Amino acid sequence: MTINVHAALLPPGFEGLEPLVADWAISGSDARKRRRIASSEAERLAFYAAMGADVERALDHLDQFPVDDLDASHQRLMDLVLMLAHVALAVEKQGESESYHSISQAHFTITRATEDAARKHGHALQQRRP
Amino acid sequence: MSAAPYVPVTKDEVAFVGTGPVPTRPYYDPAYFELEREAIFKRVWLHVGRVDEVDQPGQYIVRPIEAARASVLIVRGADGELRAFHNVCAHRSAQLVPGDGGTARNFQCRYHGWTYGSDGRLRGVPDEGSFFDVDKAECGLAPIALETCAGFIFVNLDRTPRHSLREFLGVWADRIEALDIGASDVFSEYTYEVEANWKVTFDNFQEIYHGRIVHAKSIGAQTFAPENPFGYPTKYSFAEDGLHRSKTLWFNPNYQPGPIEALASRIVATSSPPVSDTMASSTEHFYLFPNVTFLAAQNRCFTQTVWPIDAHHTRSVIRVYWEGPDPSASVRFAREFRTAATLDVHCEDRDIIEASHQGLRSGAFESLHFQIHEVDCRHAYHAVDRHVEEYRSELAGGRPA
Repeated sequence: MTINVHAALLPPGFEGLEPLVADWAISGSDARKRRRIASSEAERLAFYAAMGADVERALDHLDQFPVDDLDASHQRLMDLVLMLAHVALAVEKQGESESYHSISQAHFTITRATEDAARKHGHALQQRRP
Repeated sequence: MSAAPYVPVTKDEVAFVGTGPVPTRPYYDPAYFELEREAIFKRVWLHVGRVDEVDQPGQYIVRPIEAARASVLIVRGADGELRAFHNVCAHRSAQLVPGDGGTARNFQCRYHGWTYGSDGRLRGVPDEGSFFDVDKAECGLAPIALETCAGFIFVNLDRTPRHSLREFLGVWADRIEALDIGASDVFSEYTYEVEANWKVTFDNFQEIYHGRIVHAKSIGAQTFAPENPFGYPTKYSFAEDGLHRSKTLWFNPNYQPGPIEALASRIVATSSPPVSDTMASSTEHFYLFPNVTFLAAQNRCFTQTVWPIDAHHTRSVIRVYWEGPDPSASVRFAREFRTAATLDVHCEDRDIIEASHQGLRSGAFESLHFQIHEVDCRHAYHAVDRHVEEYRSELAGGRPA
């Protein structure tokens, strides 16, 4: 696949979130968990504020498309939303404990997320026995 | 969550499990663990996977069971039959299949190339004529007993299991089937290892007493309230000859989640039917002897299987089951949130589990103390110790003590 350098990073209407893409549009659930661990509190708060303000609008938009067949710009928006799931736990729950919490988190590995399950088993599930 | 009033469990209700101190040695002694290998992990039914993982002919999974020094190959045959075998070649006992799963028509040993069908039969032996009197029909893979309950696969490494899975699970089999998680064919999974005995690890999840201190950040506000400041469960139940047990969690009806958690909860609650209508307003943890936790919560089912690696190391495998692949971006987001939130709770436990094991291992104290709300830990101790004592009696001369 070739990438058009002039192509928009995110779908129309979400240009305001484009500065987040480089740091936060992370592919893979375990990689997103590791990105959370590697982040500073200031980074998390800034991302949470920017993405949290647009998450419902982003989901409303993404819900119009087949979730396992998103184009590159929609997939980036999806990955930003999924990243928010991890960062929100740090901001809404762990708070100042996050830096200590992240030490333990490093011992955990997310070995499968539902996005992987859909990819691995989509075909098999369509042919399920009754 | 319905606002059920909190009614505390009393001492009288749980005293039959025991009230005195419990010895610490079984929680760290390598000699005791050697007995557990034989008395438990080579004899009882162990949960190793879901039928959905081996749905198609030729699909297989490989599961290490270090406590029994075994590797188990579970494969759906071309005939549709699900079978389990020791993952060992009959030629010179080399481990047969590397990796943790896939799809294959045949399994070829990496050492000398003996080849087996998905039914375990020996199909091919390179230079077969150079062997003396090897009968191929007698050299299939070594079978392992396999049975399923509600789509969960169990194996038993005993050559002649003492009980069927159904007998072993008893009324718990009916209750797990009643959860209707047969449709939960997609799962999220995470794992972690911890330097602690498997019982120390498992016990951590069998009691809520520690929640007030350890889980103040992750689920504290959900489980504590003025009427139940420790967030204690409302019920403990025990079944099948002292093997299995459960606890029913209580939740603060006035819990106010943060905005993103609230969004995720709203999506999960409206996107799929509850795992079970009868369970919708409660959450009951089932503890299946020896090492599995089932949580039947609204809209999802959760399992944690705790695998001993040796007396001082444990691997924990957590799965969150969902009904069907993600139908939308919103549901994918909500499931990612819920899985990461569960992981966060386990994160808070990990270092205290290690600290607990380090203290036990020091031998500073010969006994430990369980209160009402640690009754599931006490019950588990007795279930383990009874198996170990019965095995000791067998070693001593085949007579019950």
